[in-house]
Amino acid sequence: MTSDAIAAKPARAWRRYLGWSTDHKVIGVQYMVTSFFFFLLGGAMAGMIRAQLLTPDSTLVSAEAYNRLTTNHGSVMLFLWILPVLAGLGNYLIPLQIGARDMAFPRLNALSFWLLVPGGLLMLASFFVGAAEAGWTAYVPLSVAGPDGQTLWAISVVLLGTSSMMGSINFVTTILTMRTAGMTFWRMPLFTWSILATSILVLTATPVLTAGLVLIAMDRLVGTLFFSVPAGGDPILWQNLFWFYSHPAVYIMVLPAMGAISEIFPVFSGKPVFGYKMIAISSLAISLLGLTVWAHHMFTSGMDPRLRVPYMISTMIIAVPTGVKIFSWLATIWGGKIRLDTPMLFALGFISMFLIGGITGVFLAAIPIDLHVHDTYFVVAHLHFVLFGGSVSGAYAALYYWYPKVTGRRLDERLGKIHFAANFIGTNLAYLPMFLAGLLGMPRRVVNYDPRFTQLNQLASLGAFLLAASVLPFLYNVIVSWVSGPKAGDNPWRAKALEWKTSSPPPAHNFDTPPVVTEGPYDYGEPVQVSLAATPAAAGD
Amino acid sequence: MKERTLLVIVLVTTALLAAGFWVAANVNLMPAEASTRAALVDQLFRAMLGLAAVIFLLVEGLLLYSVLRFRRSKGDEGDAVPVHGNRALEIVWTVIPALIVVVIGSYSFRVLAASETREADPIVVNIHSRQFSWSFEYPAEGVTSTDLHLPLGRQARFLITSDDVIHSFWVPEFRVKRDATPGQIAELLVTPSRLGAYPVRCAELCGVGHASMGLSSQAVVESPEDFQSWIEKTRALSNDPVTTFNTMGCNGCHSLAAAGAKGVVGPVLDGLGQRAGSTASGQDAATYIRTSIVKPGDQIVPGFADNVMPRNFGERLKPEQLQALVDFLMAQ
Repeated sequence: MTSDAIAAKPARAWRRYLGWSTDHKVIGVQYMVTSFFFFLLGGAMAGMIRAQLLTPDSTLVSAEAYNRLTTNHGSVMLFLWILPVLAGLGNYLIPLQIGARDMAFPRLNALSFWLLVPGGLLMLASFFVGAAEAGWTAYVPLSVAGPDGQTLWAISVVLLGTSSMMGSINFVTTILTMRTAGMTFWRMPLFTWSILATSILVLTATPVLTAGLVLIAMDRLVGTLFFSVPAGGDPILWQNLFWFYSHPAVYIMVLPAMGAISEIFPVFSGKPVFGYKMIAISSLAISLLGLTVWAHHMFTSGMDPRLRVPYMISTMIIAVPTGVKIFSWLATIWGGKIRLDTPMLFALGFISMFLIGGITGVFLAAIPIDLHVHDTYFVVAHLHFVLFGGSVSGAYAALYYWYPKVTGRRLDERLGKIHFAANFIGTNLAYLPMFLAGLLGMPRRVVNYDPRFTQLNQLASLGAFLLAASVLPFLYNVIVSWVSGPKAGDNPWRAKALEWKTSSPPPAHNFDTPPVVTEGPYDYGEPVQVSLAATPAAAGD
Repeated sequence: MKERTLLVIVLVTTALLAAGFWVAANVNLMPAEASTRAALVDQLFRAMLGLAAVIFLLVEGLLLYSVLRFRRSKGDEGDAVPVHGNRALEIVWTVIPALIVVVIGSYSFRVLAASETREADPIVVNIHSRQFSWSFEYPAEGVTSTDLHLPLGRQARFLITSDDVIHSFWVPEFRVKRDATPGQIAELLVTPSRLGAYPVRCAELCGVGHASMGLSSQAVVESPEDFQSWIEKTRALSNDPVTTFNTMGCNGCHSLAAAGAKGVVGPVLDGLGQRAGSTASGQDAATYIRTSIVKPGDQIVPGFADNVMPRNFGERLKPEQLQALVDFLMAQ
């Protein structure tokens, strides 16, 4: 426990969020609010991209500006929105879910958030010196030759990666060592499991990307020749380093969202989660398998042709643990007493849209098909179904679900449902046409295109504009409800996981008396067995 | 298991499989099939689409059915009947997807092997890429062109490379692409199977001209006789400056009406002959144009970036080609 967390007075609570705090709950909110700001920014870039693509030969933005927009749209959305918003959720929830008073290293925790700020500012500042324009994949030699912003981009991603690694060290240590009495591994909430699996992945993969980024920065700044072809450098090396992180990054961005909806389905179905252990194990399986598939992004590049098949197989195998999760969720709601509150709607939306992303991922893993659709709009559609239909839906589900925990207030249900409907229709409208455009021959990252793709692109743009509009009711809802929403009580959803056993919002030290856990987190339909033991002797871990 | 449950399972499974077969047989999302590989890829794609339809309909169907059927009634505050798991069911939904993966994986491997088998006597084409154009060199025939002409039914063996950044050679109708990586020569085998002209695209982001790269190039599949006469016609034009202008990729960045070039990255070359003599002090028009080709960094037209134009035209152009090109540009 840290002194400033104790000292924070409720009356001035909002000021805590503006400065240095070591309270994991404050840091969690700081992460989520900051990342949402970047989400709006990345969304604005997407809006400009989709406006440009309304007509095949539009000149709304120049080719140079367009490449800068796509590069930074991708980078901002991944590194400054999805990763940090999920890190924020983890920060807020992990100590509460395992009955700890804070994270294991509170100051490191604050530092990992505060690295996000210069990281984000650097990426934005790059627009003043010629922003990165080589795609978020930054393939060399194009990225070594680009404008100065490319260097700022590399440094920014190094900072954001470092922040992510620090956070993961904290998560792993906290989960392994700070569980309260009775919180055995097989009683941990599935969100906690997913953060554990994610953190192991971050710690294995991120250093490799960081090394690659340092090589690019050195080629640009001090004249080393790691990627210079005439000097004997190897452009394929970068692709290996980049994808060794950036494919697992997809799982880093989707596993916590899966963890969140694994919490939501049992609550809103009034049933225990189906196959708890299999869901937990499948998170670990996805995380380990996820480290063995990166070269499926390189089937068309200069890799040894004999190596392609093993990567195809390992990639396809990931469909198996993913399928286990989806079928377990379906079995959880089957025969339940379903409440269609907004968190549940977004969780259902997650399954229905992530499914499309998952199935098309198997198409992309099949080498002969990939050789046709690689680097086309088919890939753009696939990744947005995974990351927008999946991760972002999951993040929204989580934000709606835990909002009363964080604020003690309820969100407006009607606005929530409007948001869900617009988001669901917008996502499908924006990304489904892209599959067809890609199959028919439209490459990705093009500022102009063949006129026969006009209608497909106009549908996609319409969907994107609807998505932009869908954010408005959400923002309004979040802000107004925080000030004047109805009081939620401590446990508005009648959930049974440990974070709901303390007040909403929780006190600075999380639990008035250290809880003792005697049963799992999803025992719906059975007598309540998680108790708050009053004896100090039972405390600690 | 009750008889009624069994009946429902059998009926639903049959309906799903029927839907899958229907999708596989009737849904075509691909462009024309212009290579033997395309036919194989499309078979695989349709089979996977059928399977995908079954899984999609199963999951979305279960989801929708649950939401409609298992709703909490108003005022009911109790929980549902708790079910923690079912070993048999969990084994089924682990094993069946695993089997599907094995089938798709083996099928994909067979398609891959069949589409990458070498045939006797292929026609070799060296594909050169650069920001922002392609050229196709036929070493045995001694011909270079901006269009890719291929004889129908004869396997083509492409050897693909790049002069600068990574590009990716893609003809959607051939259903295949291959990255053009500097410092590497990548091999790609395609057997054209359908007459026609198809667009050549760059699939890997390569800079400001990426979207327009290859708009002036086509893959033309023609009869062996037409191909032979095209080779002879093109060979006769090998020192023709317009041909040189386009095969060397000048058209990828510059626009010039006389060559039909519409590039937007570099300076416009129309009217060059009139202004070339007064552009750089101490250089007459011919010297300025020649220098700008072989040493493009010496004089950068204001408003344009250095280090975009390749520096190796001095080596790549034969002296008589360079002279013809300079004369041609002087006349513009």
